[in-house]
Amino acid sequence: MPSLVCGFGAAVLTTIPGVKSFACCLIVPMAAVISINLDHRINKSEFPVKAGTAILFGIMTGIFAALFSTAFDVLITSIFHTNDFVEALPQTEALVKQYKLDAILDQTLVIFKQMSKDISYYGFSVFYTFAMLISNLFVNVIFGIFGGLVGMSVFNKRTTKS
Amino acid sequence: MNTSTTNTFFTPKFSYSSKNRLFVRLIFFIAISVWCFGFTCRSILPDSAYTAIASLFLKKIYGTVCHQHIEKTIFSGGNYFFVCARCTGIYFGALIASLNSLIILHRLPVKMKLLYISSVPMLIDVFSTTMGIYSYSKIIASLTGIFFGSAVFVYILAALENNFMDKSV
Repeated sequence: MPSLVCGFGAAVLTTIPGVKSFACCLIVPMAAVISINLDHRINKSEFPVKAGTAILFGIMTGIFAALFSTAFDVLITSIFHTNDFVEALPQTEALVKQYKLDAILDQTLVIFKQMSKDISYYGFSVFYTFAMLISNLFVNVIFGIFGGLVGMSVFNKRTTKS
Repeated sequence: MNTSTTNTFFTPKFSYSSKNRLFVRLIFFIAISVWCFGFTCRSILPDSAYTAIASLFLKKIYGTVCHQHIEKTIFSGGNYFFVCARCTGIYFGALIASLNSLIILHRLPVKMKLLYISSVPMLIDVFSTTMGIYSYSKIIASLTGIFFGSAVFVYILAALENNFMDKSV
């Protein structure tokens, strides 16, 4: 439950541009730290926090943050029928056409165009959503694990001192 | 007598723990190098169709961990990095610290003070630029980021090594 709440909070903060410029890459690690603290307060978990538990909290926070941020991204894209990918694609296309394209690049560009077309018409692209979900999961889980490890050390150190 | 001399002479330079430590630190170094290469690749690599297409997705991937404001991003090699100056500093700081950890292999202590002290310059910079005390400087943001990133890396590595590896030996 703490991971779910903190993951949701992190996803909200990463979606709000103003807040994102404050904390940048520290939002998800901070969420993992807070989730460990919340777990201790709510469930009266015992200290010291085990490394496995801290990593698990980091992973869970990262997963929830990725799921919610992808959901917010999909929601915003479905409302506006555009996003930064759709806006950047024509520029990239113009740039890419300056070079000789091989079959792989040609196919990639076709897929990108289809994604852009789907977003413009329906406000949703399955391939784009899947790609975003995977990349968000990958990045957020790693940053969540780091946050979990930092949180574990901080809380264990405090407990030792007290 | 002779045997003991031979044994002393041929004592392995690294214990089992040290070998594990080197392995973990090498993995960290490679991972951070790949991550840093990712956000600088557009500036490092020559312009090609591959980099142009890859940058579409890389920008989005790095966008999950950074605001990517153009005015706060380092411009190099005819292109902008995919993360802001502060994040660039943090990641390069971690890269420098990871390289250093490969050279100096001794066990790292987990020091809270290091984490707090390293975050102070960055927090002061964030607060000062937000309050308009002085305007945003990419150099100051990068430097404070490097300081913080290297300290965070040392802290995370120490926490990982002290909680997993040294217990397993």
